[in-house]
Amino acid sequence: SAAAGPERPQLVSHVQQALSYTLFDCKWVPRSARLLCLGSAARGTGLIQLYELHGARLELLREIEKPKPIKCGTFGATSLQQRYLATGDFDGNLNIWNLEAPEIPVYSVKGHKEIINSIDGVGGLGVGEGAPEIVTGSRDGTVKVWDPRQKDTPVANMEPVQGESKRDCWTVAFGNAYNQEERVVCAGYDNGDIKLFDLKTMSLRWETNIKNGVCSVEFDRKDINMNKLVATSLEGKFHVFDMRTQHPTKGFASVSEKAQKSTIWQVRHLPQNRDIFMTSGGSGSLHLWKYEYPAQRSKKDSEGSEMGVAGSVSLLQNVTLSTQPISSLDWSPDKKGLCVCGAFDQTVRVLIVTKLNKI
Amino acid sequence: MPLWLREESWHQTPAAVYFSLPLRGARATSDCIFCSEQYLKVSIPPFLFEAVLYAPIDETNSTARIGNGNIFFTLYKKEPAMWDSLTLANADKEKLQYLRENAVLKAQEKAKEEMEAKRITKQEHKKYALEATMKLEEAERKRIEDLKEKERQKVTKELELWKKQQKDGDKYKSIPKKGELHQEIEPLKERKNEQMNKTRIPSEGASKTSLKSTKGCSSSIFSQNLMEEQLPAPRAAATIKVNFTPRVFPTALRESRVAEEEEWLHKQAEARRIINSDLSELEDLKEEEKNPDWLKDKGNKIFAMGDYLGAVNAYNLAVRLNSSLPLLYLNRAACHLKLRNLHKAIEDSSKALELLTPPVPDNETARVKAHVRRGTAFCQLELYTEGLQDYEAALKIDPRNKNIENDAEKIRQLIQGTMQSS
Repeated sequence: SAAAGPERPQLVSHVQQALSYTLFDCKWVPRSARLLCLGSAARGTGLIQLYELHGARLELLREIEKPKPIKCGTFGATSLQQRYLATGDFDGNLNIWNLEAPEIPVYSVKGHKEIINSIDGVGGLGVGEGAPEIVTGSRDGTVKVWDPRQKDTPVANMEPVQGESKRDCWTVAFGNAYNQEERVVCAGYDNGDIKLFDLKTMSLRWETNIKNGVCSVEFDRKDINMNKLVATSLEGKFHVFDMRTQHPTKGFASVSEKAQKSTIWQVRHLPQNRDIFMTSGGSGSLHLWKYEYPAQRSKKDSEGSEMGVAGSVSLLQNVTLSTQPISSLDWSPDKKGLCVCGAFDQTVRVLIVTKLNKI
Repeated sequence: MPLWLREESWHQTPAAVYFSLPLRGARATSDCIFCSEQYLKVSIPPFLFEAVLYAPIDETNSTARIGNGNIFFTLYKKEPAMWDSLTLANADKEKLQYLRENAVLKAQEKAKEEMEAKRITKQEHKKYALEATMKLEEAERKRIEDLKEKERQKVTKELELWKKQQKDGDKYKSIPKKGELHQEIEPLKERKNEQMNKTRIPSEGASKTSLKSTKGCSSSIFSQNLMEEQLPAPRAAATIKVNFTPRVFPTALRESRVAEEEEWLHKQAEARRIINSDLSELEDLKEEEKNPDWLKDKGNKIFAMGDYLGAVNAYNLAVRLNSSLPLLYLNRAACHLKLRNLHKAIEDSSKALELLTPPVPDNETARVKAHVRRGTAFCQLELYTEGLQDYEAALKIDPRNKNIENDAEKIRQLIQGTMQSS
């Protein structure tokens, strides 16, 4: 079995902390051994808690309460010095906080009419090039891109055609930000749609439907020529798309895997190795996967157009930590193998994945 | 009568008795020998040897050796004493019988005891085996746990080391940061110091208006975030219109539910179609005329008055509104009979019968009627055999109906009549 082999990576549970509120997102603070927990207190307010990892326990450094429950957060668009946190809340507000002075947000906008389900940032943390931007996806069916230097209006708005009924946007991710001009946003919706928006040309570059609501999308790296995209969905499935070759009609090649019966809530790539990613499941489990490229990544079809060839995915390890879904997951960008996950059993867990060097 | 075998020479010591039994050619196996405390029997049909011993012996230790056409017995005495003779001299028939039975019983008991002992030892072996396996598994588990624990400790140590490094690094960074926060000026890296003097770009403060990307002339007390100089301007705002894969349900799409959802939609579509078709064609109908039951009653009344065509119309309309009411077809069949539309009558009766499945006591009367009407139609078409079939079916449901019986009889006569004549 996967657990027994001595050479396989082990998912070692390091610290567990019970919380007194519902945890929706957890993030490492870059360049530190500190992590953030974002969620909703029982009385309907939002909570941001800052913890520090001390030996075998987490020490609470700060607790910040906000009027609305917070659903998601990112450090992606902030500089390494500032380390401002961007959050989306249940009311559709996008806020950027300076955690040293959190009383008033550095940036605030009521970006959406309904809850912001997912947020991503790019252009910060010394990663990639181009303007710092934040993308939010909401239940109101729109995906909006914000520049922290521009108040009130988004720099890009992907909204339903007039008169069309909206679908819930569940997840957003930046990608392809390898120079100052290029950037794409990938969005996943509850009706199984995945749409790829090109921000340079302000157009829809690709769309597909994976037959199950899309819970999480992530590029393996935001700041390179887009290489791979993983999309996870309901019913335990995930798809890995090879994004290097786009066929005019068939789009991108993909391989899919059904890991388990329950929803796959999150996918996160290891910052230090873009071919390793972890998925978290509705059954409280974590699966560590490795993608292997095919011998030839592209081939010509009968008409001579280039089409991509998908590789294969193999399971490295899995572990069940909780009986409730693990809804959030984050790798530490600084320490290889260190990750934090938050589950709906109101527990935040810090894990260490060993033997990643040997893969 | 068995052929008796007699023992040959016997001799004894205080502890044991030895004698041999010639077998006269018979072949002996260990099953043939039966021995108990005081009774010895060798039975090789048709030969038989029986002896009631002088004194009890220890039969578990005594032996019998078969060979050379003989059985050589070695019997160990229970009490060391010299025997007067091998067998009891005056062993009368009753004593013999008693001893025999006793012997058999004793043997059975012994067998039982042996089995019991065997069972107990087996159980103990099993228990022992189980315990051993459990211990092994426990050891294995512990080994894995220990490995994991070791990993954890190693990893924890590494983590602590790394954290220390971070902290030291952080301290260096945070000191200038804290100091400058008061003045809201951000820390500047050394290589940017040169660029500091080039241009000043007002940066975004918490409550200031949006940045103008051109080199602003108004100086600002806020920081020179020189990172921004190298950053492109905010994008020109634009909208991308999105079309979604259509989905009727507000819930998320799940593959496993698709079949259910399709079925539901299909049913809704059906219902809507019926309502719509009526609405479009029969807009001038009154409210009550859209109710199939009302129409059925109306049809019945019209039928009673003798207007068979009118009744058919009423039933037609009712069927269009609801095609799954058996009584509508039943009554229309009656109309068709009266109108001598025999084929239509058969059709409608058949349809009614179809809808009247499953055949339960509740729809008995309806089924009887259907069968009778269809039977009548068949007969009027001179298809007497089929007609008889239907009548008999009707009789089966309702055996006490005299009319049906009489009619059935009539038809039988008719059939016989035609057979005879043809």
